[in-house]
Amino acid sequence: MVDEGAKPLRATGRCLCGAITLEIRGPLRDVVVCHCGQCLRQHGAPPSYTAAAWNDVKLSGEKNLKWFQSSPEARRGFCGVCGSSLFWEPMGSGRVSIAAGCLDKPTDLRTVRHIYVADKGDFYEIKDGLEQLPHSMRAVAR
Amino acid sequence: MKRKTAGGCLCGAVRYEIAGPLPPPSACHCVQCRRHHGALGVYTLAPEERYTITGKRNLAWYESSPGIRRGFCRNCGSKLFWQRSGSDQLDVTLGSMDEPTGLKIEKHIYLADAGDYYDPPSR
Repeated sequence: MVDEGAKPLRATGRCLCGAITLEIRGPLRDVVVCHCGQCLRQHGAPPSYTAAAWNDVKLSGEKNLKWFQSSPEARRGFCGVCGSSLFWEPMGSGRVSIAAGCLDKPTDLRTVRHIYVADKGDFYEIKDGLEQLPHSMRAVAR
Repeated sequence: MKRKTAGGCLCGAVRYEIAGPLPPPSACHCVQCRRHHGALGVYTLAPEERYTITGKRNLAWYESSPGIRRGFCRNCGSKLFWQRSGSDQLDVTLGSMDEPTGLKIEKHIYLADAGDYYDPPSR
């Protein structure tokens, strides 16, 4: 008999106030730092995102999760109590980008590239030697 | 150095102007900033009296530790401000500013609490 509900726990996380917690049971993508103008405004600095299949993400406190539709294709999820940025969701993809900052250590994640570097903020330089793309990967949340 | 700085949240519900020059920002790696921003906390600051804030009814505050509060837009979730209670100073995020900011990160703080998913820069 196959136990289909027994995917091992990959990561846990929460917003700053703890009103929303998450468990991920499935693979997490390497971390990508986004420098687009929308991310800078919403996060206050360039955010680091991993990504997962929505089906592998279990949320608690979901009533505190607020969504802001930031473009026709994507929405951003944040905690309505403390304002923590948690998610960027390309609509209809079945995937969700998860802010690496909300995950508990150890994350066993590594940052691999920077995207939308053409739009980057003027108040910092990128000096870590990682790959830089002027715009997006074809599918950021793949 | 700029004499006036403007900025606001992603949806435009909260906007601000700051009169006068601003000191170089610092980038905070503490776990609270990283959970809140999903990024480093990159802030400069000015006396609160130099700010003109519009759309204040859309500005929500969360007390993240005793005497410290963080301000964000309740509509779009943009992180804007950080303030110590009783202080006349108000910290503001660099990412929320209209460019050019004329500012560069000068130092990194709380590096001992840096995330394990990146290599922290040297101080």
